[in-house]
Amino acid sequence: MTRRPDHPLLDALRSGALSRRDFVRRALAAGAGLPAIGSVLAACGGGGAERPAAGGMPPMPAAPEGEVAIYNWSDYIGETTIADFERETGVRVSYDTYESNEDLIAKLQAGATGYDLVMPSNYAVRVMREIGLIEPIDRSVLSNWGNLDPAFLAQPFDPENAWTVPWQWGTAGLAVRTDRMPVPDSWAVFHDAGWRGKMTQLDDMRDVIGCWLKYRGRSLNSVDPAELAGAKADALRAKANLKSYLSAPVKAQLIAGDVWLAHLWNGDTAQAKTAQPALEFVLPREGSMIYLDSMVIPRGARRRRAAHEFINFVLRADVAAGVSRKSGYGSPNAAALAADPSLLRPPSAEEMQRLEYQEDLGAATGEWDRIWTEIKAG
Amino acid sequence: MTDRRRRLLAWLGRRPALQAWALIAPAGLWLLLFFLVPILLMTGYSVMPRGTYGGVESGFTLEHYARFFDPLYLAILGRTVVVALLCTVLCLLLGYPVAWVIARSRRWRNLLMFLVVLPFWTSFLVRTFAMIFLLRDTGLINTMLLSLGLIEAPLTLLYTPFAVLAGMVYSFLPFMILPIYASLEKLDPSLLEAASVLGARPAARFRRVVLPLSMPGVVAGCLLVFIPALGSFLPSDLLGGAKQMLIGNLIQNQFAAARHWPFGSAASTVVMAGVLAGVLLYLRTRDRPAPAMPG
Amino acid sequence: MTGRLPRWLGAIVALVYLFLHLPLLVLMVFSFNASRFSVEWTGFTLEWYRQLLERPDILAGLRVSLVVGAISTVVATALGTLLALALARGRFRGRGALESLLYVPLVTPEIVAGISLLVLFAGLKIALGLTTIVIAHVAFSVSFVTVVVLARLAGMDRSQEEAALILGADEWTTFFRVTLPQLLPGVVSGALLAFTLSFDDYVITSFVAGSGTSTLPVVVYGMVRRNIDPTINAISTLVLVFTTLLIWLADRAGRERFAQ
Repeated sequence: MTRRPDHPLLDALRSGALSRRDFVRRALAAGAGLPAIGSVLAACGGGGAERPAAGGMPPMPAAPEGEVAIYNWSDYIGETTIADFERETGVRVSYDTYESNEDLIAKLQAGATGYDLVMPSNYAVRVMREIGLIEPIDRSVLSNWGNLDPAFLAQPFDPENAWTVPWQWGTAGLAVRTDRMPVPDSWAVFHDAGWRGKMTQLDDMRDVIGCWLKYRGRSLNSVDPAELAGAKADALRAKANLKSYLSAPVKAQLIAGDVWLAHLWNGDTAQAKTAQPALEFVLPREGSMIYLDSMVIPRGARRRRAAHEFINFVLRADVAAGVSRKSGYGSPNAAALAADPSLLRPPSAEEMQRLEYQEDLGAATGEWDRIWTEIKAG
Repeated sequence: MTDRRRRLLAWLGRRPALQAWALIAPAGLWLLLFFLVPILLMTGYSVMPRGTYGGVESGFTLEHYARFFDPLYLAILGRTVVVALLCTVLCLLLGYPVAWVIARSRRWRNLLMFLVVLPFWTSFLVRTFAMIFLLRDTGLINTMLLSLGLIEAPLTLLYTPFAVLAGMVYSFLPFMILPIYASLEKLDPSLLEAASVLGARPAARFRRVVLPLSMPGVVAGCLLVFIPALGSFLPSDLLGGAKQMLIGNLIQNQFAAARHWPFGSAASTVVMAGVLAGVLLYLRTRDRPAPAMPG
Repeated sequence: MTGRLPRWLGAIVALVYLFLHLPLLVLMVFSFNASRFSVEWTGFTLEWYRQLLERPDILAGLRVSLVVGAISTVVATALGTLLALALARGRFRGRGALESLLYVPLVTPEIVAGISLLVLFAGLKIALGLTTIVIAHVAFSVSFVTVVVLARLAGMDRSQEEAALILGADEWTTFFRVTLPQLLPGVVSGALLAFTLSFDDYVITSFVAGSGTSTLPVVVYGMVRRNIDPTINAISTLVLVFTTLLIWLADRAGRERFAQ
């Protein structure tokens, strides 16, 4: 395995071009003492600025390694996927879970190693590529690649699918108790004081500000201050009618009837519907967000072959179907959809018009965060 | 005891400062390496510019600190201090009696102590969801009250300041009870007997004998509740409906959705510095009373 | 007099215990409820306990939590007690500064502590795993132990120690047979706090745990947030029952030895 590209100062130190004393002096000069050492320390951990060029990876071993470490969203895999994989390939799986993209990025960025496969969302993939946290995929060993639906390939964050393999997709919208209230078709329902105290929105900055941007016909990646101010006003009007901001845990209250209308994702709504048939998922007419989670390999993964083996395994129609059946979310696997009609269908062309992928906001994240703080503190 | 050991101890005995440092060394080194150094690293981040995609870039800037001193963020800090104070006072009012009863009871002491700590051997989240299950509109409490005919419509118990405080007090009660107990346990009952023989009534006995002697425990308990309560945000989110923002939420957001480590570090450094300054002040002005206890 | 408890005091204490244990009772009762979501009792079942056997991740998490909890409690209590002794009794310069530094871990938001530790471990190339979790847990528990033991030490009567020394006991013997027993309630309180902090920690642990070494809170967190899963109630009940049994046995063994 070639040596990972490192911070240039470290390279110089290792190769002997810099004496230890010069290294410390340069490192101190590069910043302001401790902070610089901190960033060098962080770079040591693997968060270096360079990324390995696609295709420049060393060849993989012919057989999968004995085990693989997977780090995935919680409750986002089939009932028996891991057990089946272990049984069929003999590769032992170590499985851990996380709750948000930011947890994942923070952990990898701060230098956590040991994971061979992770599942970031679309906007997180771009961030991880920019900071050099992931490695390219070797498609030549993925025999089941053809099962994927082309609609989910060639995304802006990875046009050649050199780094990512689609895992699950989902959208956000309205989950409504049809037995308690008429089915709404617009985000404006949150402004209706008639349902005061019975509604919730997701506790998520991108989703809340984003939906109010869509409500006014804007892009949910907008960084225009006037548009953001409008979204903030709408969000505050809605907040007065909300019972709370609640993400996945709202399911219990939807089922029990404490909450009649929730801003929720389609997969979670499908899960709740199995216990409460009166629930329906509605995509508001103004549009909403769609996300695509992908499988990527973190840089420095020690068991790349086993990771690819797992990817190929879940690309099988039956396995992909199993994953989606348990999670309730959409599968990007066309073969799985063909085999199991009960699975969530991809959005229609008309729906895709209204759906938008979230992008990373870059430097404007601070502005969004301030607005979110004002909404929450208001 | 061997001669060499005796001589070593005698040598140490003449150097009280060295003795003290020998005791401090293990804990001190651990805290230094695994707490102070990381925290200083983070403080270093707070003066660096944010990288476009999160993380930091090299450079020096005080803009994050300047940003924090803004009415929006200071109001959040102010609200958090009020909530933490309320929680501390409630914990004190509820926890002191419990500590007293445990300290005075010979037979049941271990059991009572154990029962205080037992709830915390379940996960915090599980306990909180159990509380939600109790408090929500269709929850256990409302269902029982409705079926008993005591109320006509469900009470709004969840997503109220009451629920948030209940959750916080629940989390921090042992941190108040245990230090006060440790302090009260060494209270000599004969002191109280002497006081009552001398004519003092229960209230006076408490005020003039028990309270002063238990003060170290009370202060310890208050610090152990107030300080972590400042950083608390989960009860506010889960039981308060996430409709308010406390300083803990703000900092959490900076490391999560906003991916703005420098601002998060700056905010957290300001809070930490403020609390440390307060603690330092308290330590300076505190006198260590010689206990007026008969031998 | 000093023996009898005023009724209002007893009432408050009883209410506090009820408050502390009501959610637990709910948990335990509903771990046997056949319905997953409803408040109504739809029938008694052991289904959720049976399902636990099919959840090796939960059981593994419990094991890791117990191991980490035990080790970090012992270390943190030892370190914290030594530190408290030095702070209370020692005569050296910089004592005030050290005592205020003690409060840094209490003040630090968990996420800051977690991320900064992760950066440190990565920089020092320490692989994430049980060791890093224990290191982190000790780091944030020591202060709590120290503060509790300090409260115990403040105003502790030294006459017994002085008597022992006068009677010819050396410093080690005095410490182990006079000081430590007097200190014990404080030390035990501190140890209980340390274990509680370790067993229940999520944020810091989630950052410093390596692959395959998730503690119970880390395993459970995602499950509880996303899905209503009574197997959580089942494992919580089991933990409660098991620890109660353990403590009861330890207490009985202690009493018998004392009686002898």
